[in-house]
Amino acid sequence: MTTKRKGKLNFTATFSIACVLLIIALMISILYGDAKIHLTTIFEAIFDYNPKNQQHNIISEIRIPRDIGAILVGVALGTSGAVIQGVTKNGLADPSLIGLNSGAAFMLALTFAFYPTAPFLVMMFAGFIGALIGGFIVLMIGRSRSDGFNPMRIILAGAAVSALLTALSQGVALLFRLNQSLTFWSAGGVSGTTWNQLMWAAPFILVSLVIIVSMSKQLTILNLGETLAKGLGQNVAFTRGITLILSMILAGIAVAMVGQIAFVGLMVPHIVRYLVGTDYARVIPLTAVVGGLLLLVADTIARMLGEAPVGAIISFIGVPYFLYLVKRGGRFS
Amino acid sequence: MTRLKGEQVTIGYGDHVIVDNLDVQIPDGKITSIIGPNGCGKSTLLKALSRLLSIKSGAIKLDNADIHAQSTKEIAKKIAILPQSPEVADGLTVGELVSYGRFPHQKGFGRLSAEDKKEIDWAMRVTGTYDFRLRSINDLSGGQRQRVWIAMALAQRTDIIFLDEPTTYLDISHQLEILELITQLNKEQGCTIIMVLHDINQAVRFSDHLITMKNGDIVADGDTEDVLTKDILEKVFNIDVEISTDPRTGKPMLVTYDLCKKSYSEV
Amino acid sequence: MIDPKLKRKQWYAMIILTICVLLACAWSMTSGEYKMSMGAFFKTLIGQGEYTDTLILMEFRLPRMVITILAGAALAMSGAIIQSVTRNPLAEPGILGINAGSGFVISLFIVVGQVDADNFIYVLPIISMIGGVLTALIIFSFSYNKGEGITPASMVLVGVGMASALSGGSLTLMSTFDEDQSEFIASWLAGNIWGDEWAFVIAFLPWVIVLIPYLLIKANVLNLLNTHQHIAQGVGVKIGRERIVLLLVAVLLSSAAVSVAGAIGFIGLLGPHMAKSIVGPRHQLFLPLAVLIGAFLLVFADTVGQVILQPSGIPAGIVVAIVGAPYFLYLMYKTKSV
Repeated sequence: MTTKRKGKLNFTATFSIACVLLIIALMISILYGDAKIHLTTIFEAIFDYNPKNQQHNIISEIRIPRDIGAILVGVALGTSGAVIQGVTKNGLADPSLIGLNSGAAFMLALTFAFYPTAPFLVMMFAGFIGALIGGFIVLMIGRSRSDGFNPMRIILAGAAVSALLTALSQGVALLFRLNQSLTFWSAGGVSGTTWNQLMWAAPFILVSLVIIVSMSKQLTILNLGETLAKGLGQNVAFTRGITLILSMILAGIAVAMVGQIAFVGLMVPHIVRYLVGTDYARVIPLTAVVGGLLLLVADTIARMLGEAPVGAIISFIGVPYFLYLVKRGGRFS
Repeated sequence: MTRLKGEQVTIGYGDHVIVDNLDVQIPDGKITSIIGPNGCGKSTLLKALSRLLSIKSGAIKLDNADIHAQSTKEIAKKIAILPQSPEVADGLTVGELVSYGRFPHQKGFGRLSAEDKKEIDWAMRVTGTYDFRLRSINDLSGGQRQRVWIAMALAQRTDIIFLDEPTTYLDISHQLEILELITQLNKEQGCTIIMVLHDINQAVRFSDHLITMKNGDIVADGDTEDVLTKDILEKVFNIDVEISTDPRTGKPMLVTYDLCKKSYSEV
Repeated sequence: MIDPKLKRKQWYAMIILTICVLLACAWSMTSGEYKMSMGAFFKTLIGQGEYTDTLILMEFRLPRMVITILAGAALAMSGAIIQSVTRNPLAEPGILGINAGSGFVISLFIVVGQVDADNFIYVLPIISMIGGVLTALIIFSFSYNKGEGITPASMVLVGVGMASALSGGSLTLMSTFDEDQSEFIASWLAGNIWGDEWAFVIAFLPWVIVLIPYLLIKANVLNLLNTHQHIAQGVGVKIGRERIVLLLVAVLLSSAAVSVAGAIGFIGLLGPHMAKSIVGPRHQLFLPLAVLIGAFLLVFADTVGQVILQPSGIPAGIVVAIVGAPYFLYLMYKTKSV
């Protein structure tokens, strides 16, 4: 029963390094692309924007939104995963494995079917509702007899619910002759991100993040086990409820923005816990930064490889890491 | 006479050694009990002797041939085992489970021959389980269930039967039921029985031969009268005992016991 | 030693199910874009039908029907074996990612391999098997723990992860495909029964004819494997060898099935469970039933899909998932211990 295990590294140092890396990655990403752009041009674009300059346009209309989108999605998925792992005490949880992704996708399919011109806000909301439905079913079935959740039941229920919701999404897509092919939402890509989407998504993501960070002490205590947390006077149902709902909001928005991307919420919290320990006041902020960094880097690589789907790049690292975790016993940290 | 013996046997998992360089001989036609504190290796030894566990070094010999060199089916015709508290699927009937005991004798598709059916019926009658042969095992009481497992072992028609803690989860009357059945089998069929028991008095009363183990070693090995002594029990279980004679059986029995004084002061 | 009542139940159930399968087939073959009445259907069967009817029935619908029946049977059987050998009542090739593995290798083959149109169909089951077996190997080796062997828990964990990864991988490969290939893989992943010529039947049938009877013969061993490990060992079952061979056969069977019928999950779960609830857990009793139930379910699901959305139809895999997944969840809900 570990409460706060000290990680390998000093938190402030690690956090700062991560932020710096993020900024560097951002720079590199903006610089790289079919159209060669100079470093100075970026500064010009930000501070002295000239709408007639084509390079400025590329930067501001395509690259920056895309990159910020990638970062935000990474933040959302990473944080969501960290919260879910903490609440379910299951080191192998990830928004995609507990039905959040497929739930959001299903709701989005329905939205497209009945409301094809839906504004992004509606899509985000649909994503959230879908994630909520999927996650709720999975977690309900995943409750174990004694306190807390049974990891295997969660995984199994997650697989079944995902299969169901994916089948339903495909059914809806076929029935309503939605032009999105059956693979839409399944691959995951950041490339279409617009300022409009960011405008709506960013506040929700950031506010959720802030609330979760403010509850990090509760999360750390909840990690001791339900019975103990109650014994210490915590309102377990409330803590669990709020944090899980927030994690579903995050996942839902992520899917609305970019489709289904898996394994980010799985890998990042593990890496972060390894680095700085299990104190949630540290884990959450760092997970956010590292998550953003990971997705940004993956997206840049995807771009370099000629627009390969970002989800695939991440799976490439995510799956072996997942197998390694299972082999090791899937322990919490 | 001993058909089954272990020679310089070492058993363990990975780097962890449970039994180290042990010699043991199981007397034929007798009831042998293995007793000892938790973790002493008795279950491990039992499983190794019945070839369920592989050994790191040494040899387990049955009729002077290494047990691991023989085909597992052939061994199953000579040795039967009842593992600790086995679970079964819902809906499995008594008759069905007992019929599994005929597996080593079956060829091909596994249809039951007339001989198989004869043995199964016999096994069930001897253990008093014939009347519920169509009932689901999970519906029976603990004692009845154990008798069914024994029936399966009997249906194998082996000379040697191993039982791993056959009475541990039963109440006292069921425990006695099983132990008396085992005694009967030994007397009437001449089966060699080896069992792991927790209750020292039960072990003494119902066995001819006793093996006591501690930390993977055999501390004492011989007739029950010879092994049940104050010194040996102190060494094995860290208890200080009073031994008297059982008024009904004439065998030695523990009247009372306490933890050895030493254990408290050694902090 | 089987309760004679159960044996009778088995017979009745088998007869009723066979009738159900036949009825479902009749329904299926008379539905679809090209309407055929029941009368015309029967006339064509006995060789007295009109030219177009005969063409459609004999060259397209009948072979497709045979494929569907065989695939349903194979998937149910495969699921039953995997469940018994791994002692995990919720295991089946779909959830464990074995289907996804087959799909991934098929996708790979389409991208990389020289697709010789004539032989493609016959090679497909083998390609699919390679994928399925490799995936199974990965799953079993990664879920193996020195102390406890392969626990159901770790097997499921790795399986689910692999499923996610492999279907993602297939989708990735798809982005390098052209339109047609892309659509093929997409509908394959959704469980669209695409085998509709006699060539497919010829490619698939041998596997079914050989593997299913083999598994039926092994019923006794399966019964024993399903009890405790030490009991099976105690009566002389070569556990290690039997497990590996049986699992291998089960994976080969399901891979062959999905190669011609698309990635269809849950049949491997529904078939065995329903069969067991009728006649109990004895393999001699429930396996034949599971096979029939599997066949029936797939035919039924496929027909429902065809009827709901014309002309293209909803892939059978989707229909099965929509029914199968809730059933699976219900089973989980009821089994407190998993």
